[in-house]
Amino acid sequence: MTVPLTAYLVVAALLFAIGVYTVVAQRSAVMVLMGVEVLLNAIGLNVVAFWRFTAPTDYSAQVLAILVVTVGAIEMAIGLALVLLLYRQRRTVEVDAYTDLNG
Amino acid sequence: MMAAFDILAFGACSFVAVAGALGMATTMSMFRSGIFLMASFIGVAGLFILLSADLIGLLQVMMYIGGFLVMILFMVLVMHDPGGAMMAGMELSPLERWFSKGLVPRDEATSAGQDDPASGEGRSHAGNRHEGHAMPHGEGRHGHARDHGGGAMPHGAHGGHAEHRHADHQHGDGGHGGMDMSMVTPVRPLAAWLAAAAGVVLVGMLFLRPAWPVTDAVPDPDSARRVGNLLMDKYMVAFEGAGFLILIGIFGAVLLARPSTHPDDPSRAAKAAVDAKPEAIRDDRLAPLAEAGGAPEPEHHGSHHGHEDHVG
Amino acid sequence: MGVAAALAVLGALLGGAALTLAVEHAFVRIDQEAGPARHTELRHNLQLPNADRWLLPAGPVVALAGVALAMVVLPLGPGLIGRDLGIGLFYVIVVVDFVVLGLALAGWGANTPEGVEACYRIVAQLVAYVVPLGLAYVGVIMMARSLSTVVVVDAQRGLWFVVLQPLGFLLYVVTGLMQSYRAPFLEPFAASLGGGVLGVVGGWSALVWRVALAGVLLVVAAVGAVLYLGGPSGPWLPGWAWMLAKTYGLMALMLGLGRLVRPLSTAETLALSWKILIPLGLVNVLLVGGLILLGVGPGA
Repeated sequence: MTVPLTAYLVVAALLFAIGVYTVVAQRSAVMVLMGVEVLLNAIGLNVVAFWRFTAPTDYSAQVLAILVVTVGAIEMAIGLALVLLLYRQRRTVEVDAYTDLNG
Repeated sequence: MMAAFDILAFGACSFVAVAGALGMATTMSMFRSGIFLMASFIGVAGLFILLSADLIGLLQVMMYIGGFLVMILFMVLVMHDPGGAMMAGMELSPLERWFSKGLVPRDEATSAGQDDPASGEGRSHAGNRHEGHAMPHGEGRHGHARDHGGGAMPHGAHGGHAEHRHADHQHGDGGHGGMDMSMVTPVRPLAAWLAAAAGVVLVGMLFLRPAWPVTDAVPDPDSARRVGNLLMDKYMVAFEGAGFLILIGIFGAVLLARPSTHPDDPSRAAKAAVDAKPEAIRDDRLAPLAEAGGAPEPEHHGSHHGHEDHVG
Repeated sequence: MGVAAALAVLGALLGGAALTLAVEHAFVRIDQEAGPARHTELRHNLQLPNADRWLLPAGPVVALAGVALAMVVLPLGPGLIGRDLGIGLFYVIVVVDFVVLGLALAGWGANTPEGVEACYRIVAQLVAYVVPLGLAYVGVIMMARSLSTVVVVDAQRGLWFVVLQPLGFLLYVVTGLMQSYRAPFLEPFAASLGGGVLGVVGGWSALVWRVALAGVLLVVAAVGAVLYLGGPSGPWLPGWAWMLAKTYGLMALMLGLGRLVRPLSTAETLALSWKILIPLGLVNVLLVGGLILLGVGPGA
């Protein structure tokens, strides 16, 4: 392995930072969902990188990564259904417009 | 040789992953945003394959190509300006400008005499639909742009349509003026600083503690078999749990996305709008506009239609 | 070594696509819709005023890349394979998805009403075929006990899987036609949509689309030959000749069967897939499992 573990982790950290930016800065709920996907992806990259470099003979990490991808897909489906429902009720998908629960 | 290839492949994949995520966060077009995210996922999948976890890499590509194409279609349904045509001319940061490049290309036939390429189709639709909507840069050009309202432009049309209905329902409260089309919230500078801080802290922590217990062991090249055995043996419960979760997810999504049967106050109108038969695309009022305005038909389009049923 | 193999795969793709086009034209009468084989303007580039200048040209390139990547794992003869991957069949399913991605990119990027509608229908068709297609693969994978294309071919030395799993073969033929947008499922390329994506291309992109769309059919037929017809194995003739004969035989069978049915709309395709094909696929998996338990098949 010519590329060190730290390089992969740096890429994952950059992805995580971009995901944080997207979740905070984006206005529409679907874009926030996409930001969450980037966050999950960064985590998956971390898991697989650590698996390859520290415990390559134990495949449990790959199982964890598969479960992360699965949960990401479910999150996307449910999130999208919620967004559609909210859009039908409010005619908008902007998260700032959902202020009903403000104190 | 092998080492050089490794480094090259790592560089390419990580560039695609990070640039795709950046593009997703900054482009003005919803559709492109989804495509950039897909590119980012494919880059990460490449990294997975470099890490000899090829099963997960391929799984990722499959899940996200199919999943995201569908998701993009839904996003287009609910967004104001999925094609980014309206925002493309607004004030953008350099990064946003770069990732939104080529969105509203200059149209020689219609925008002759206009220096600003961004005052093209998208804005003219916005102008046509609801004049009252405040557009910081658009006001002055409304009359001008409407004269050239040609061009079949579904991206603008989608945006305009959604926006139109949105305006019908929300115009009363006048909640958002100004940068309504924008895809980002006003706290964007804060978010950028937060993200930069998170990135710096994470990377800094990495360089402060660079010594991980790295081993030289090499995984089985046919790791898919091992993973399958683990899934069906040791992690059976997790596997079945994930399957159950997917089932529940399907039920939940179907339940949530169904129009509710009980009348819930102001959304009755919305429900009726959802249940009504969708307008045929042919009856879209853009079409006559496009023909009347001498729309810039693609060159050779006429001759093209002539023999399109024949085999070439 | 690697470069030579890549060039060989590309050459096989180009030759196979040309032959596919010829076969396909033999099955289209003049009064029928040609679908993906329709006429395109190869000499002039179309000037679309509102096209997205990144996505429109990216479409054909992505699609062709997907087809070329899928060609890599197809065994064209004993030892005549680009790369024998341990998860070859899964890899094929994944990379052929890039064709859908490319079609969606080009449809949206063209920014014409027909193009965007074609993009929608193409994605809907993806939703229709992807699950039953996977189920059609699963039966074979269960019997061969491997995802590698070479092992699947080896497992059929005694008896082709089409004999053991006729239901799976039928499923594969129908979903393969959906996947390659051929005859009854050509709604995304129908004349009512102005040819869909093919109606808005010209010049080099039309040529690349031509190769990519012929290549999809080629890959579908070749994978079908590997999965159910024993791939390059056979007596007397060399392996590549058998593979060629089986691939184009299956292709002709699919195209001919497809022309017997009236064209289905995207909604009908979805209904067919979710109401008939997916239950059928699950039944097939059950039957194959029963056969394996009874000791039928190569592994027993």
